Amino acid sequence: MERDIPTYSLFLLIVFVMIPFTIAYYYQLGLKKDIIWSTVRGTAQLFLIGIILTYLFELEPIVGIPLMLSVMITVATFHARKKGKELPHVFISILLGLITIELIVLAMWLGFGMISFTPEEVIPMSGMVIGNSMVAMGLVLERMKSEFEQSRGKILAALSLGATPSQASHITVRKTLNAALIPNIDQLKTIGLVQLPGMMTGLILGGVSPIVAIKYQLVISISIFSTVSLSAIIISLIMYRYFYNNQMQLLTLEEIKKSS
Amino acid sequence: MSNHLFELSQINKRVVSNVSFTMKEKERLVIFGPSGAGKSTLLHLFNRMEDPDAGVIYYKDKELNTYSIPTLRKEVGLVLQEPHLFPGTVEDNLKFGPSLFDEWSPNQGEKLLGYVNLSKEYLNKDVTELSGGQRQRVSLARTLANNPEVLLLDEPTSSLDEQNIELIEHDLQRLVEEEHVSLVLVTHSMQQAKRLGTTGIYMEEGKIKEHGQMEKLLSDPETEELKQFLQSNSI
Repeated sequence: MERDIPTYSLFLLIVFVMIPFTIAYYYQLGLKKDIIWSTVRGTAQLFLIGIILTYLFELEPIVGIPLMLSVMITVATFHARKKGKELPHVFISILLGLITIELIVLAMWLGFGMISFTPEEVIPMSGMVIGNSMVAMGLVLERMKSEFEQSRGKILAALSLGATPSQASHITVRKTLNAALIPNIDQLKTIGLVQLPGMMTGLILGGVSPIVAIKYQLVISISIFSTVSLSAIIISLIMYRYFYNNQMQLLTLEEIKKSS
Repeated sequence: MSNHLFELSQINKRVVSNVSFTMKEKERLVIFGPSGAGKSTLLHLFNRMEDPDAGVIYYKDKELNTYSIPTLRKEVGLVLQEPHLFPGTVEDNLKFGPSLFDEWSPNQGEKLLGYVNLSKEYLNKDVTELSGGQRQRVSLARTLANNPEVLLLDEPTSSLDEQNIELIEHDLQRLVEEEHVSLVLVTHSMQQAKRLGTTGIYMEEGKIKEHGQMEKLLSDPETEELKQFLQSNSI
């Protein structure tokens, strides 16, 4: 049986929103507008996506799935790009990275018979993979800029000893990847102990048995784990090159901005 | 073939404007002058850490940009103002350069530390355990590990105390005499210029004001600018 939340109780969610709102008001955090706006916006977005998904689920999978995936990847690309606006070709690099990752993960899910090619399964699962990869890529871009700034002296020292940009960036790229992957590894370590993962919670609430819910959760968690690592590596390996010119000279962020 | 090691012709780069001079093999050239004169900028052009906006540089009678960049930087080694050691042990740092060219042999470490007066026990020390002076000496040994023909030094002792300055200068003097490397040293210290240089270039505001034998520059300066600089530095 499909369980539903009555509409009137949904309106009572306003009580939950009042808690942060009251705190913000009392301590004059200057967040009142943000709290109201993000609640309204979030609600509108979710209902909108609900309507779109209902419509998409009725379409032929071969039409609906690529359509929705394209929208998700484009939005994710625009979002992740913000973290590395100064770098050249960042949009296309993220876009191609996300497409590659989605294709790989989709091929594995379908090939190993983990999910079927229906919008109900492909879209939410892909959404989680794309969303997490987007965050990882943004994190890598941000971290990379600060690592290149902080390690400038060491990189110059390596170049002056005859290192190529790839050799000179080794330490920097390693530190960037470390920073991007650690939260991901920690998350996997404590999965199910600290909080029940979202997808599993959703399935259990929807009436699916916990064991089946766990199977799905395992597929998605491991998929996220590997795609996040892959997206971090792809974007690192593409973007570090732009910190150098063709003469193996290290550029500053200002010089990179100018040259792009 | 000339015995010119470097020839710089009408070089422009940032503050450096229209600079031309030649440097012979085995020369110990000191570029000195007040800060902001463009000394470091000029030095970084010698191994293409930067390229000039205008002008040509020749190294051993061939244009600098005809050399492979990693090989050039190996042959014309640069010691930066700050040591910037890589994380790990002293040995990790020493073998960084040679390993890039598959030239590292484990017994090299002790010899390299010998050049900078550090015992072989330092090889396994983590770089975080070193003092400022020791870091700078490891940085020098790290550049020497590449067996350079020319050594570029960018104010190598600017952050050190008198005792460490003396030690490093002593190491350098021994090196140029025993290993016959050519030296280009940038410094704002007149005392150091006098102790280490055979020829000198005095720079101010991106221009060469005087160029000649170090002895002559110090004892008989021609330009008003150098006279004033020497006076203010009490030589």
